[in-house]
Amino acid sequence: MSNPRQASSASQTPHLSPAELSYLYTSLSLPKGPIRPDGRSPTQFRPLTAETDILPGTNGSARIGFADGTQAIVGVKAEVEKTVLASDILQQDVENDLQAPSDRRDGAESTPSAAAGGHGSWVQMSIEIPGFRDDDALPVFLSEMMRESLVGSVTDAGKGRDTEMAGGLKGRLVINKRWHWRLYIDVLLLSQPLSYPLPLLSLTTHLALLSTKLPKLKSQGEEDPFFDDDWGVAEHLYPRPSPSASATSSQIRPPVTLLVISVGDNVIFDPNREEISVADAVLAISITRNSEGQGLKLLSIRTIDPPSRLTQPGVPNSENLSTMAATGNSDNAAAANPSAGQEEVPGVWRPRRGGIKRSVITELTRTVLKKGGVGEEVLEGLEGVEV
Amino acid sequence: MKSLRRDPSSNSQAANVASKVFVRSTRSGKVQKIVRELYLRQDIPCSSKLCSICPSIAPPDRNGNIAPFVLSDQPAGTKAFPRGHYLVPDTNALMNGMDLFEHTGAFYDVIILQTVLEELRNLSLPLYNRLLALIKTDDKRFYLFFNEFRLETHVRRGADESINDRNDRAVRTVASWYSEHLKTSAAKKGKKAKSVPAIVVITNDKGNLEKARSENVTALSLSDYVSGLEDSERLLDMITEAQVRESKGPGRGELFYPEYYSMSKLQTGLRAGTLHQGVYNVSPYNYLESSVKVPAFDKALLILGRDNSNRAISGDIVAIEVLPKDQWKSPSTKLVDEEAVTRNDNPDSEETEAVVSDKERKALQDEVKKAHGKSSEGNPQPTAKVVGIIKRNWRQYVGHVDSNSTGSQETSGRRQQNVFVLPMDKKIPKIRLRTRQASSLLGERILVTIDSWPRDSRYPSGHFIRSLGELETKGAETEALLLEYDVQYKPFPKAVTDCLPKEGHDWKVPQSKEDKGWKGRRDLRHLQVCSIDPPGCQDIDDALHARPLPNGNFEVGVHIADVSHFVKPNNAMDLEASIRGTTVYLVDKRIDMLPHLLGTDLCSLKCDVERYAFSVLWEMTPNAEIVSSDFTKSVILSRQSYSYEQAQLKIDDKSDTTELTESMRQLLRFSKILRQKRYDAGALNLASPEVRIEADADEVGDPLNDVKTKAMLETNSLVEEFMLLANISVASKIYDSFSQTALLHLINQLSKKRNMELDVSSSGALASSLDRCVDPKNPFFNTLVRILATRCMTSAEYFVAGAHAEPEFRHYGLASPIYTHFTSPIRRYADLLVHRQLASAIGYEGEDGHAVIEGVATRGKLEDICRNINYRHRNAQFAGRASIEYYVGQALKARGEMEQKKNADADAGIKEEGYVMRVFENGVVVFVPRFGIEGVVRLEDFVLPGESASFSASERRDLAIHRTTEFDPEEYTLRVEEKGHPEKERSVQVELFQRVQVNVSSVKEEGRGAGKRRVRILILDASDK
Repeated sequence: MSNPRQASSASQTPHLSPAELSYLYTSLSLPKGPIRPDGRSPTQFRPLTAETDILPGTNGSARIGFADGTQAIVGVKAEVEKTVLASDILQQDVENDLQAPSDRRDGAESTPSAAAGGHGSWVQMSIEIPGFRDDDALPVFLSEMMRESLVGSVTDAGKGRDTEMAGGLKGRLVINKRWHWRLYIDVLLLSQPLSYPLPLLSLTTHLALLSTKLPKLKSQGEEDPFFDDDWGVAEHLYPRPSPSASATSSQIRPPVTLLVISVGDNVIFDPNREEISVADAVLAISITRNSEGQGLKLLSIRTIDPPSRLTQPGVPNSENLSTMAATGNSDNAAAANPSAGQEEVPGVWRPRRGGIKRSVITELTRTVLKKGGVGEEVLEGLEGVEV
Repeated sequence: MKSLRRDPSSNSQAANVASKVFVRSTRSGKVQKIVRELYLRQDIPCSSKLCSICPSIAPPDRNGNIAPFVLSDQPAGTKAFPRGHYLVPDTNALMNGMDLFEHTGAFYDVIILQTVLEELRNLSLPLYNRLLALIKTDDKRFYLFFNEFRLETHVRRGADESINDRNDRAVRTVASWYSEHLKTSAAKKGKKAKSVPAIVVITNDKGNLEKARSENVTALSLSDYVSGLEDSERLLDMITEAQVRESKGPGRGELFYPEYYSMSKLQTGLRAGTLHQGVYNVSPYNYLESSVKVPAFDKALLILGRDNSNRAISGDIVAIEVLPKDQWKSPSTKLVDEEAVTRNDNPDSEETEAVVSDKERKALQDEVKKAHGKSSEGNPQPTAKVVGIIKRNWRQYVGHVDSNSTGSQETSGRRQQNVFVLPMDKKIPKIRLRTRQASSLLGERILVTIDSWPRDSRYPSGHFIRSLGELETKGAETEALLLEYDVQYKPFPKAVTDCLPKEGHDWKVPQSKEDKGWKGRRDLRHLQVCSIDPPGCQDIDDALHARPLPNGNFEVGVHIADVSHFVKPNNAMDLEASIRGTTVYLVDKRIDMLPHLLGTDLCSLKCDVERYAFSVLWEMTPNAEIVSSDFTKSVILSRQSYSYEQAQLKIDDKSDTTELTESMRQLLRFSKILRQKRYDAGALNLASPEVRIEADADEVGDPLNDVKTKAMLETNSLVEEFMLLANISVASKIYDSFSQTALLHLINQLSKKRNMELDVSSSGALASSLDRCVDPKNPFFNTLVRILATRCMTSAEYFVAGAHAEPEFRHYGLASPIYTHFTSPIRRYADLLVHRQLASAIGYEGEDGHAVIEGVATRGKLEDICRNINYRHRNAQFAGRASIEYYVGQALKARGEMEQKKNADADAGIKEEGYVMRVFENGVVVFVPRFGIEGVVRLEDFVLPGESASFSASERRDLAIHRTTEFDPEEYTLRVEEKGHPEKERSVQVELFQRVQVNVSSVKEEGRGAGKRRVRILILDASDK
């Protein structure tokens, strides 16, 4: 059963022969810098076009198209919802404080209560990919991965900045103790997933969230929410810096998730389908600007099951039964199991076994986070999009 | 990649598509972004008769006709605009000057923008409805221009533009488009641009005025425009007070009233149950006390004092907060009259005002003392304060200018000044009015409206609308009554009279039975039918007959005028009738629900004329048991129309044995049996004081002789009984057929009266406990109790069957499980609806073969109609009562004048018997059954024994301060005595339901110049003889 849907990994492996895979791998793992099939540098992204506010009926929307023809549309809808059990949780919280104030295991992580700090479940994300059911592994996995960084990104409060985004996205969704916004992020991939769609979807979601507006609240405090009916005064979900503030970069933005592969000792960004199929490791890195708006912050690194694991190995001449027949070597046991731990033969494809070296990870984070690095480049590119 | 974004600047193709984006908050708490696409067009006409372009492009309707153009080709000019002008008001101008726009002397040819109309709807629904009505009338030439849909006048909102700025810009854009458009059109015709009328924007916004100037658009503020008109002073008074104040600048002096909660806070509170919502109701006896009935409390919540009532006006729907329990009080036992307490307030001096004046505080403190003093056995009621207004129910009020308030400035002539208007309805506070014509308004009945009640003012401010005429004149007072009770009294519009049969009075039941009018009708012309009504009745809607059947049983028939034949559902006449709801009977005037032709001729079951009818036929055993009932449309021929007296005479005349008289005797016999059965089932015999006035009596005699209490003859109850029977039969028939939408009628539960031990659990129990309330010394006592009980009952209401559970259908007073109104379709709209339902229930298909039930079958619509009918019905009763009261007052006055001529002794009044209906700490309310009126008797109006019998009101005024009272709230007694003379012989003691001798006269209120006349009652003798 070679149903690609079953693959939870960065699948859709192109049908390349072991020889081709081996050639590709070798080119990409060259110590002096990889040679990519499309001639990009390791940190170069494919060109893309982006626009926002394309769906008038949504609270915010964006579309990004890669040059290879893949396109995604993201629409964000917000709905007012009653915060359930807020009082119970509050009550519980108070009790907790009384009983064991020091008992908190992870002081930074634990939100005081859903009512005050927001709740991760208030952000709902659904991803639709042509040819996949909504409960297939790929869309579910992708949406969880992106939602996780969205919800988890909590900007440090303080330092004179407005505290509106203090609790991150979840905090922003709190209206008052009894009411909150629920956010529905609907991601639609318009084309066949020619490559692993994570970077495309993440960037599109980023832009859509940036353009998202919530109706202006007219009521105050703990009153039932009551909103201004003028859409023109609606406020951005991610507040814009006031025009007086100089640096545009000081705006809080949603995180982006980048796709990176390692091939040998090389780190390659924005891999295309063929490149993924030979990767030693596939990583999803979520980054965001840190609270000062200058440096970058690494939110998460996730490894994704590399598809190269599933490829058929190439057979070295030495073990090829058809060539071996002439030599008359009768050691057939090894031939029966070609993937058994044998020495790597140059030019012969072996499925990668995963694993990534520490040095590669270090290199990876450095490339992403350093000043003027890849992360900054991507974020600046996105900031250039007029939202 | 091609952009998916719709951006008009980058895409010229998209210029004719725009969108309107807004946020909608639904009732369930959802908040949605709504995007409406607008497809801009170029064929919306300017609707000016001057235009030569638009007639060719205006879109025709389905019949190929173009809507007639509205704006005149010769619009009126003013000094500033000699060539004529069209007006383009902005929303604010309409908010502040709707009365001006409705004025018939000016404001013609007005272009109402769609933008403005929509904005107005959001701001004030009543004003919006009034504007719609204006647009509908042809003669004012208001044109609704859909500017948002026309390409040239659609305005896209700028990046940082507020909605208001955008709408202002839209108004200016329309104005400049109109003048360009008309110029082009004039040029096409070869006329000079000179002849084009000016387009005048009316706006009060300074910024807008300025921008208009720079954009070369003619714009004027409302008051500037009005100043240029003729009769400007009268018109200027009609501008809303709020706007005048605004221009004076805010921030003047202290704020007297607490601010209302924000809407969101109110809603949170209402939903959470910490706040309550209800209709604010001022006590008619004490203007500082009001009550709000809310579902959460059994008893109405009391609101005491101005502070707590916080600018609410009787009738408003308010949000209230219950006060802490230690502030609960018992309801007032004192009469407090606003006019008396605040007599000396000056409308101009705001500085000295406090929300609670000292006098008022004193009145309230007495209350508190009382409440605390007997807190052991007293029963304090929950009190509350108003924290917000859900909906203002301000209307136009009839009143007169308080002459005191104009005094200081009498000579200042035409200068604008503040005066107080005392509304006719005592529950409405004084209204401060700014007027330039104070002196000419004195002594007139005027119509005013309330504009606002700012926090820094003790009284609401309003503006003058029009004068009804001199006080006390019949015309003015009648119109005042009609206005005050919201009775539609304007003549029927043409659209309604167009619905009448073309033959007019010559209409006849068709001769040939082949005629479609006969379809589905039974010929009952052979029956000996007669009608019994009050004398002089013209709109006869019921007739009766009875005849023996061969099997020993009787056939009894009730025939009701077939109004539904003439009034087809959903035409203009039907609509008008549903709005009027009922015919209103005043002493000297009848305001018809249906046009005269129908009511008094075509539908009226006059004798010796064939008429269409809707008949209910029963077969009855001689014991009045109903064997079967049958409903049919019919044609009848009434043999006689009797008055009650005539019928009674016929029945009593033993020698008369004609078939007709025999049938009446039979009917009478049946009616007595039916009546007894009804009482046995527990029906109530409730009384309501009814006074009839025969206005056409000769003028020489005593005018009071015209006032007659209604006599009850056997024939009255004969008719009544059969009408009840018909109504009950019809009700169960239509309920069988339309269980969800049948229009029924019920009396709500009885609210308990404080002092009587009445069992109200069922009408039967009540009936017997009422019967027990008999005082051997006082034969009228039982009637009094009955009157009170009737008043306590919430009056009967129409309702749609689907809205109530079946056990609730019971008609309390009649002890009937189900009831409706069927028998008076000429004067009640509900009956007309019931006719339609019954027609459908019996499968009558109408002349043209299709059912007539449409329009009465949807529940929502019916519920709306019910609400309106109930409201109209109540108002009609009040108006009728007020009319009688007025007439009695006039008769008393005429009598007083006559007496005065005879001997110089001033206002002698007339001696009558009265009964004490309510007892307060400083006065009592006395009911005089002879005239059916009720009046307050104050301390000074008690004539103590040994006192000089001078009844002059002016002499008695000062007596009040010399008197003290002893009030016993448990026993409901009040003893009045002179200070320092506690001897029993020199005091008067009255108690509830006591019979007293009173002197009734009509006096002109003094100290108030043109003040109004009131009926004054003096208690002469309280000893119960």
